[in-house]
Amino acid sequence: MTPGQLLLFAVGGLSNAAYLFIVAAGLSLVFGALRVINMAHGSIYMIAAFVTVVIANQLGAGLGFWGGLLVAVAVTGAIGGIIEVLVLRRVYGREHLVQLLGTYAVSLVIAGGVRIVFGANYRTVVSPIPGHIDVGGYSYASYSLFMIAAAIVIAVGVWAMLYRTNLGRNIRAAVADPDLLNATGVDVTRLYTTVFVIGAGLAGLGGAIVAPSQAISSSIDTDVLVLAFAISVIGGLGSIVGSGIGALIVGMVISFGLVIPATNPYALAFVFIIMTAVLIVRPRGLFGRPES
Amino acid sequence: MVQRIVKPFAWLAFALVATLVVAACGSQPSGNTAVTFKGTKKVGYSAPLTGQSALYGHAVSQALNLAADDINAKGGVNGYKIEMDIQDDGTTVPQAVSNTKSMILQDNVVALMGSVTSAQCLAESPIAKQNKIITIDATCNSWQLTMEPDVVNPYWVSIVPNTYMEGTAAGRLAASLNLNKIFIVSPKYLFGISETNAFVAALKKANSSAQIVNDPSTWYVPFPTNPRWDSTINAIQAAKPDLVYSNIFAADQINFVKQALAVDPQFFVKYPMTTLVSVDELNSLGSQYPSGMHAYMRAPFFALQNNNPRLTDYITRYRARYSGEYPSDWAVMDYDALNIWAQAANAAKSFDADQVVKQISGHTFDSLRGYKITIRSNELQANVGETVGTTTTSSTYPFPVLKDSVNLKGDDLMMPLQMVNEIKGNQCDQTAGQPNTANFALCPSWKAG
Repeated sequence: MTPGQLLLFAVGGLSNAAYLFIVAAGLSLVFGALRVINMAHGSIYMIAAFVTVVIANQLGAGLGFWGGLLVAVAVTGAIGGIIEVLVLRRVYGREHLVQLLGTYAVSLVIAGGVRIVFGANYRTVVSPIPGHIDVGGYSYASYSLFMIAAAIVIAVGVWAMLYRTNLGRNIRAAVADPDLLNATGVDVTRLYTTVFVIGAGLAGLGGAIVAPSQAISSSIDTDVLVLAFAISVIGGLGSIVGSGIGALIVGMVISFGLVIPATNPYALAFVFIIMTAVLIVRPRGLFGRPES
Repeated sequence: MVQRIVKPFAWLAFALVATLVVAACGSQPSGNTAVTFKGTKKVGYSAPLTGQSALYGHAVSQALNLAADDINAKGGVNGYKIEMDIQDDGTTVPQAVSNTKSMILQDNVVALMGSVTSAQCLAESPIAKQNKIITIDATCNSWQLTMEPDVVNPYWVSIVPNTYMEGTAAGRLAASLNLNKIFIVSPKYLFGISETNAFVAALKKANSSAQIVNDPSTWYVPFPTNPRWDSTINAIQAAKPDLVYSNIFAADQINFVKQALAVDPQFFVKYPMTTLVSVDELNSLGSQYPSGMHAYMRAPFFALQNNNPRLTDYITRYRARYSGEYPSDWAVMDYDALNIWAQAANAAKSFDADQVVKQISGHTFDSLRGYKITIRSNELQANVGETVGTTTTSSTYPFPVLKDSVNLKGDDLMMPLQMVNEIKGNQCDQTAGQPNTANFALCPSWKAG
């Protein structure tokens, strides 16, 4: 493998990691703050992708896409608020199985609704950032580089929100002891709603950003959920840094694993072997904290 | 205790309305003539209405419902109204198996239409065989389904060009381009492996100087795959082939094409591609679908409608019923599938699979494709053709079509009978005594040829 090819496959791995991180960031945030495994996360991501595509195709790929992205984040945030109020408030503190079933039921309802509203056809939208960069005889899509940048911005933004704002302080306090936080006058119920709205908005942001790079259909919710959970488990559910590292590991394993003949047949299996190994050695994930 | 007062006239009115409703449901008007049926029989189809191949399931379901209505308008089958029993399988094997069982054991279907992926069909076939339910297959197409001794189901009829036929068409198409460095990308399951092997065999037979530049272990990608295709796109850039051969399909093909074009709008000019495609992929990407792709297709309506009034009428009626949608290849083939079964069952005057198969095996049927289809008795495979050509923009349709398209004849693509018999006789197994290792390139007649 030449240095140029090494760079090519490394950037491919980064693109893959960025895609997975963008999807998983909200999942991880919600689990970290609310201790809820949100099976409807992929569904919210899917709604955002559809909203973005529809608006972008109506208004044109440039302005239409960015407008669509904003609308998608707003719509999914609102949907997140509704889900939190109607479903999650009834399952906080219950065993994870009940939460899983509750959010899974929501995902089924959304999947059915999306099929009714948007139909079965694949939808596509032209990239708002066309063009490519040539380095060392190989081409790199500008939009993939944008996705990498977007993933970094999201990671830094979520980290800053958690560790540099009052909201973040309250979220971390709620994770440690919600009753004590409540006693200090913070409305924990509203705080939970806010966190879920942000998590849903992140899922929406992910769906909107990913939309120009793939076919949007009513099955993209499940396409991504398995790998998103894998990186969350590897990195540690609830840890944004962990999700970033997990996405990087998975992205690189897939990128290099598929192009090396000896590892190709096992490339995807490696992801789950790593996940299993992490679960055995460090069940809370590389950067996760044990549940109190 | 509150005593309920029963009003006799209210009950009478209710009974009258109920009778009228039931009567309305029991018969199907056809034009000006009402058709009376003995009852209703169901035909099952495990459909990918969700998942990787959702688009195909959507088209097939629509075509089957239209075909059932057309059949019913002509009196149904053996005096019974035909009703489609379509259940979503999410493009997964376990759900397809579950659907097949429930359709046979609970819904009492009298026939099945083959599912989309060969992996699903491979799992469904033994269940259908055990319950003696005929399957007409118009989508999944691995040749193993009708020839490999441990898989063969005497009630499984294929009216789709199988992977041998399709791989042969693709191999000859690629060879005709006189390009020597070929890169292969294919889904890692029975269909992809089966078709790729046929492609390589046909390519090397027609162009002995052709070389596959990527290692065989990297030909295949997981199916259904991660929606990101960076690895494959980068591997192609690294290998710099003269031609890419692909049989990835549905969402995978759309994602691959979109992401490759994002890397370089000239990607498919630098690396021309011979690929399986259907109207669905062309329609989904529309003007984004690249021109100049060397495509092979199973039943593209736009290439088959010349001097074909039956197909033209079908297109008109399909579009009128389904909001202007054009019928994809799957919609054409599955419409044929249900009609062939109906015609055979009517001829047999029975729904019994043995009797119906007798009316199919060796018989010839009309087809939307504009030519007659004959089902070869040896392996119940139809001599259906394949269309090849190069994608180009269209002034008639909102998606690309094929220029210089050629409708290859099924008879020229079918596996030679001697090879069929050698496979069925376990003479082509990689590991002796293990029929699931059968490879036609190991057959004595292939080696001799």
